[in-house]
Amino acid sequence: MASWKYGMAGIFETEESIIKAAYKTREMGFKNFEAISPYPIHGMEEACAIKRSWIPYVTFGAALVGLFGGLALTYWTSAVDWAINVGGKPFFSLPAFIPIMFELTILFAALSSVGALFYACGMPKIDPPIIDKDLTCSKFAIFIPNDDNGYDESKISEMFRALGASEVKKAEF
Amino acid sequence: MSETHNENTSAANTPASVRDTKYWMSLEQWGGDPEFQKLAETEFMSSPLREGAENEGQDGWARREFLKLMGASLAMATAGCIRRPVQKIVPYNKQPEEVTHGVSNFYTSTWSDGVETFGLLVKSREGRPTKVEGNPNHALSKGGLSARAQAHILSLYDPERLQGPKRNLQNKERTNRDTISAKWEDIDAAAVKQLKKGGVVVLTGNLTSPATRAVVSDFCQGFKAQHVVWEPLAHDEIREGQKAAFGDDVVPYYRFDEAKVIVSVDADFLGTWIAPTTFTKQFAEGRKNPKTMSKLVVFDSAYSLTGANADIRVRIKPSQQLDVLMGLAHDIVVTKAFGKYAGNSSVKAALEPFANVAGKLAISKEAWQKLVEDLIHHKGKSLVVAGGLQTKTEWAHEVQLAANFLNAALGNDGNTVDAKIPLTSAKASNKELMGLIEDLNAGKVKTVIIHKTNPIYSAANSGFASALKKAEMVFYTGDRIDETGKQADYMIPDNHSMEAWGDSESYKDVISLQQPTIRPMYDTRSVQLSLMTWAFMAETGPKRLTTPETFYDYLRNFWRDELHPKFGKGKSFEDFWEDALQSGAIGVASLDKPSSERTFKVEALSAVKPVKASGMELVLHPTSMFMDGTLSNVSWLNELPEPVTKVVWDNYASVSIKTAESMKIAQGDVLEVKVGESTLQVPALIQPGMHDDVVAIAVGYGRTAGGKVTNGVGSNAYQLVQFGKAGAVYSGAKASVTKTSLKTKLATTQTHHTMEGRKIVAEATLNEYVKDEAANNHKHKIWSIWSGHQYNGNKWGMAIDLNTCTGCSACMVACQSENNITVVGKKYVLEGREMHWIRIDRYYVGTPEDAHTVFQPVMCQHCDNAPCETVCPVLATVHSSEGLNDMVYNRCVGTRYCSNNCPYKVRRFNWFNYAKLIEKPMHLALNPEVTVRPRGVMEKCTFCTHRIKEARVKSRVENRELKDGDIKVACEQSCPTGAITFGDMNDPNSRVAKIFNEDKRAYALLEEFHAAPSVRYMTKIRNNDKGGETSSHGGGHS
Amino acid sequence: MIKRNQLVLGNKSLKQITEDIVAPLERLPSKGWLGMFLSAKALFLFYIIAIAIVVSTGMGLLGVNHPVGWGTMIITFVFWIGIGHAGTLISAVLFLFRQKWRTSVARTAEAMTVFAVMTAGLFPLMHTGRPWLDFWLFPYPNQRGPLWVNFRSPLLWDVFAVSTYATVSMVFWYIGLVPDFATIRDRAKNNIRRIVYGALSLGWRGTAKNWSHYEMLYLLLAGLSTPLVLSVHTIVSFDFAVSNLPGWHTTIFPPYFVAGAIFSGFGMVVTLMTLVRIGFPEFKDYVTIDHMEVMNKIIMTTGLMVGYAYGSEFFIAWYSGNAYERYAFINRAMGPYAWSYWIMISCNVIIPQLFWFRKFRRSIPVMFVVSIFVNIGMWFERFVITVTSLHRDFMPSNWGMYAWSRYDTAILVGSFGMFLTLFLLYLRLFPAISIAEVKPVKNVGYEGGHH
Repeated sequence: MASWKYGMAGIFETEESIIKAAYKTREMGFKNFEAISPYPIHGMEEACAIKRSWIPYVTFGAALVGLFGGLALTYWTSAVDWAINVGGKPFFSLPAFIPIMFELTILFAALSSVGALFYACGMPKIDPPIIDKDLTCSKFAIFIPNDDNGYDESKISEMFRALGASEVKKAEF
Repeated sequence: MSETHNENTSAANTPASVRDTKYWMSLEQWGGDPEFQKLAETEFMSSPLREGAENEGQDGWARREFLKLMGASLAMATAGCIRRPVQKIVPYNKQPEEVTHGVSNFYTSTWSDGVETFGLLVKSREGRPTKVEGNPNHALSKGGLSARAQAHILSLYDPERLQGPKRNLQNKERTNRDTISAKWEDIDAAAVKQLKKGGVVVLTGNLTSPATRAVVSDFCQGFKAQHVVWEPLAHDEIREGQKAAFGDDVVPYYRFDEAKVIVSVDADFLGTWIAPTTFTKQFAEGRKNPKTMSKLVVFDSAYSLTGANADIRVRIKPSQQLDVLMGLAHDIVVTKAFGKYAGNSSVKAALEPFANVAGKLAISKEAWQKLVEDLIHHKGKSLVVAGGLQTKTEWAHEVQLAANFLNAALGNDGNTVDAKIPLTSAKASNKELMGLIEDLNAGKVKTVIIHKTNPIYSAANSGFASALKKAEMVFYTGDRIDETGKQADYMIPDNHSMEAWGDSESYKDVISLQQPTIRPMYDTRSVQLSLMTWAFMAETGPKRLTTPETFYDYLRNFWRDELHPKFGKGKSFEDFWEDALQSGAIGVASLDKPSSERTFKVEALSAVKPVKASGMELVLHPTSMFMDGTLSNVSWLNELPEPVTKVVWDNYASVSIKTAESMKIAQGDVLEVKVGESTLQVPALIQPGMHDDVVAIAVGYGRTAGGKVTNGVGSNAYQLVQFGKAGAVYSGAKASVTKTSLKTKLATTQTHHTMEGRKIVAEATLNEYVKDEAANNHKHKIWSIWSGHQYNGNKWGMAIDLNTCTGCSACMVACQSENNITVVGKKYVLEGREMHWIRIDRYYVGTPEDAHTVFQPVMCQHCDNAPCETVCPVLATVHSSEGLNDMVYNRCVGTRYCSNNCPYKVRRFNWFNYAKLIEKPMHLALNPEVTVRPRGVMEKCTFCTHRIKEARVKSRVENRELKDGDIKVACEQSCPTGAITFGDMNDPNSRVAKIFNEDKRAYALLEEFHAAPSVRYMTKIRNNDKGGETSSHGGGHS
Repeated sequence: MIKRNQLVLGNKSLKQITEDIVAPLERLPSKGWLGMFLSAKALFLFYIIAIAIVVSTGMGLLGVNHPVGWGTMIITFVFWIGIGHAGTLISAVLFLFRQKWRTSVARTAEAMTVFAVMTAGLFPLMHTGRPWLDFWLFPYPNQRGPLWVNFRSPLLWDVFAVSTYATVSMVFWYIGLVPDFATIRDRAKNNIRRIVYGALSLGWRGTAKNWSHYEMLYLLLAGLSTPLVLSVHTIVSFDFAVSNLPGWHTTIFPPYFVAGAIFSGFGMVVTLMTLVRIGFPEFKDYVTIDHMEVMNKIIMTTGLMVGYAYGSEFFIAWYSGNAYERYAFINRAMGPYAWSYWIMISCNVIIPQLFWFRKFRRSIPVMFVVSIFVNIGMWFERFVITVTSLHRDFMPSNWGMYAWSRYDTAILVGSFGMFLTLFLLYLRLFPAISIAEVKPVKNVGYEGGHH
């Protein structure tokens, strides 16, 4: 489990202020700060310059694996390993195998995408530190880790106040 | 358990010689000694049902036991019998050469059902009979075997059989107070003491065994005893008729194969009359080739199996039997002035009253005229039969006279009717029974020995029960304390026919040997030995009775003195005997050679007067499963559907649709039928094709002490029989029928009776067939989207000729016995859970009033494109390289999808763990070559795949190719008409291949669905002079 | 821009929303809930006993027989699977269509899906003759070799479809719950609660990066579930359509089954939602009459589709000229099981027509009653398809009736016990409305609200 970082956190009350804060923080040149919100906020990606998620590639790859895995399984079991006359049908009855292939496609795609999310968000995390209990309820926050370049506690708290943070504190995250 | 293990090992270590003596000892103790019992029991591990250790040692009768006793060729050992013969017992550690472990051998034997006798091949595995099949060498049954004959093996293993002699302690009302077990010694002592007092009567059913008849007559001679023969299905009316008409007291031999036109008036010769299997065979002979097929016209008062096979069936009531026969006689002899009795004034006078009876019958003028012409045209080659319980009326005598007159007038006598080959065993007579009752009541009879008949049940209404109480002592040889047994002082259980030596004669000089195929299972003694023993002890009777030690010896002597000179053909007796054992039958009399014609005593005819009758008439009839009610404790027969009504586990009162409507009767309503003083409550069955004034009830049901299986099944119709000086009146009596408030459910294996216009049974009239052999057999243009799998080597197929199949249902029991098919009972048949692998569908065609019948045996069709296989998720049913639709029991998880997808619905599911319910020693009847299916798996016809394997192994051993006919599947083997053919479709010369490729009548069931079944049916041809009105698409509703 | 009705009533603050939704989790159970839960639990136990008896004695205890090889278990299986579909539809399909109103009902609908599929999934397993061998239906490497399963069998497609569907919808549901678990965790007063929900939340912390991945995944799962949900009932319909039985062997089955599934599913959602609104009044502001009305519209529409399917079945049966096919359908409407057919018609086609009237669409009692009828009707639809087709097929000699026994009743009724037990537990333990999804739409329909 990744050890937690230390740094400064500013707590905000409204959606608008946190978006502004995010922009500002980025302009200040901070790279790996975190913007924390109880729900996804539109425009946050731009504000924090977050790249589009890469999970779809995983999904697509897994889907292909599922599809051809299904084909291979059905073909090998019923036409190669144990070719047996069932109801006078051909050993390799492709049309009948399509449902299997389809279901496996979905299954692989879905499960590996979830896996990808877990990887991307480093989940599961055991008892991560919490800056403020309300961050999953009604409040928003920006957290700047102390290893970020140009990290200066006084400057940062000043900035947060200017942005209208209701609270500024040193925090573990 | 453990100490018996030590027993075994120690036994194993002791030298063989010593061990043999040990077996000797144990045999001596055999009967009683519990210690030995325990040892013997815990020794074997062979029960097909054995599961886990919890019931080890409870396995009362299993293979090893028989192995030890195998080769006990003289099956007379009865521990405790005072004259125990010395016999050689072969322990299995010295395996008899004729026995190979795991290979079944066949022993010829014989069994008789009433007066019909069958040649048997008893299939025996490690010394226990598992199945009976027909012996092709038998001159009459020719390999055919009735359902009953095959089912009787279960009566051997019936758990309720008496296991030794018993004594009933009677109170002064002579109703059984208590039953204690007795010793043979004491019984013999008591018997001899009693017999010496005189006044002895031996009451038996028809005795088919010449040797036994000899024993009885010797015994009677010795003790000045009287021999009375009675059983309910007596044929005395025929004998009296013959006597009055021709002067000889016989039941003649009939040649249904020779007859071109057969008229049957209530004589159910295909189902229950005299020798049904023999007659069925003959009948099929006459119809195999449709072009020359005979014509069967049946005047039927109950819907009999014969009626169901009629080309023209006319529903009548008993009081019309005379009208039919005399009407025909009149139109032939008077109107058409045909035959040597034409112009005879007394004949004319006798026939006049019947001048135009045809109008009263449910038959069109044309059809009647055609029938008259046909009969004349086929003079000497036609046959008129009347008889059976349905004709045991007040006018039974006249009916017989009329029938005999017709045969005489048509010159059939001596050709299709042959009095020179009489039915020697048919001695039963109701007059004799009435005489006996009289004597009993008069106190003339002190001792009665009852064998092979159960009058207190089957003569319920005759007063026999009360009369019997007048006798001082009663001996009964039955295998259980049944209705009559209850009133016997001593139960002296006879061996089962499979345990005893004997012989059997059906028609004169057609004799077969009965050799035991298993050592007596219990402490029973053959009735013959009982009689011999008593004669020996009383030192009376002829030498041949008292000298031999066992009945086996008596039998051999009898054959040496009586039969060898006649049939020996110069062979030494030993060879003659050996041959008889080998082939199972001797004395194939000149069955086909016509004998001389007799002259009819015309004066007798003047006694025949028209019958005045009105209102409902009672008809009693036997069923082909139950006959007179013996064997009714055999579960197979209880669950074998009545061929026409398809009802199981019950008898019923059949009434016509119109009668039901007018009386507001619904199926299952309990009716009260009152005849004279006697009443009977019985559920109603609404039956198409019945005369509106008839209520028909089957006898043989309603046993009260027949055993767990049969007690309470149906009601005893014998209670409606009216006994009088003249004999017994079964049918034709005026019956008053009232509907009670009670209701029951009748379990039927088929609930819908019409084909809904679908091509299921294809049917054509003879005229249509002559025009076009493929009449009513529409072919479909079928193509497939891919080439399909190739079958090189064998490809099994079956062909079924619907024209010769009579629906007798023998195949169903054969299959049941061969494949260990379970019986589920009435409750579950009602829920549609019967398990038969082969079933016989019956459809009605034509109008409901005059419904005709078609039969169709249906089993797994082994489709090349089997719909069941495609849908099984676990590949539990797949196709073999020989075109078999294999069912893999141990892979089946039981989704039942296969059954849903089977267009023929031939698959059966094990809803419960039936195997667990098989009561010991019943499990010994199981066929070790066929798996006993567990709960939750699907099962179905396998084309007797184990028989295919067996035949292949055999051919390999003899290193030759399998040839057509090597394989006989169970149903095919048992079919008396040879309607079923099995073989290799890839062999162009096989019989099936020929039918598949060449026969114009062949068609596949539901052909248009292209399941490509490996079974072909052949169009049924109806010889009814019609030109196409009746088609396969009949719509008779019921 | 058109004026929209508010999705969340009473202009709530973020905090209020959170409090409203988690309220049922944080207070002691009400008497009403307790009563319902205990009776549901009792029914569930009864169910378990019934199953135990049937499995230990044999399928013969049920009405299934020859020729009717499938009965209550399969009927009820299809019934529950169908119910499940509405959940996925609401959460996935409507999500793809950006239907904001879905947010408040999605969670519960999904829960319903998961529980319905769990209930349904049991039946195919139990109805086999030897349930303890059911694992044979999965293609696993074994040493009986070579021994595999039959991929041509619709039943095997079923195994794959249902298990995939169960897995994916469960994952979908859980992923949606994760942020809400975090919320509950952070509100937790006592430690155990914190630990339990903390574990369930997998340490969710709601950073912008997480949210962007999260939303992407949600979109993907929605995208995958949509074809999945359609395929599942299609394949269930194959169980019948691929066989060759008159009345089963029809190409219309897949669309017809899917429509029916959505129909019955929404029926069940409405039933449950009306109950939820009664049980937890604070939800009224989130699950508004507007929501209910929309669903009622869908019920009516799908009802019409199903009705159309019934009609065209008959037409094709007649048009095909196939005697067996014709008889099968005439037998449905006029045969011994006609009563079940007419129950189906009236419940599925006639009664939903009430929803043409706005008054009825928006009346809680009416929609509750109608939704019940819809559920009954849809059960009978499966009864009609399964039993009446089987009981009279090709050869009249085989014709018979289904031997309904009291075990059939027990199994059918008991399955509701299982479903309700799970559902009631869910209402107490999980946030019945997606907190994280409602918050973004709280302003929809308010003056100055964005979007």
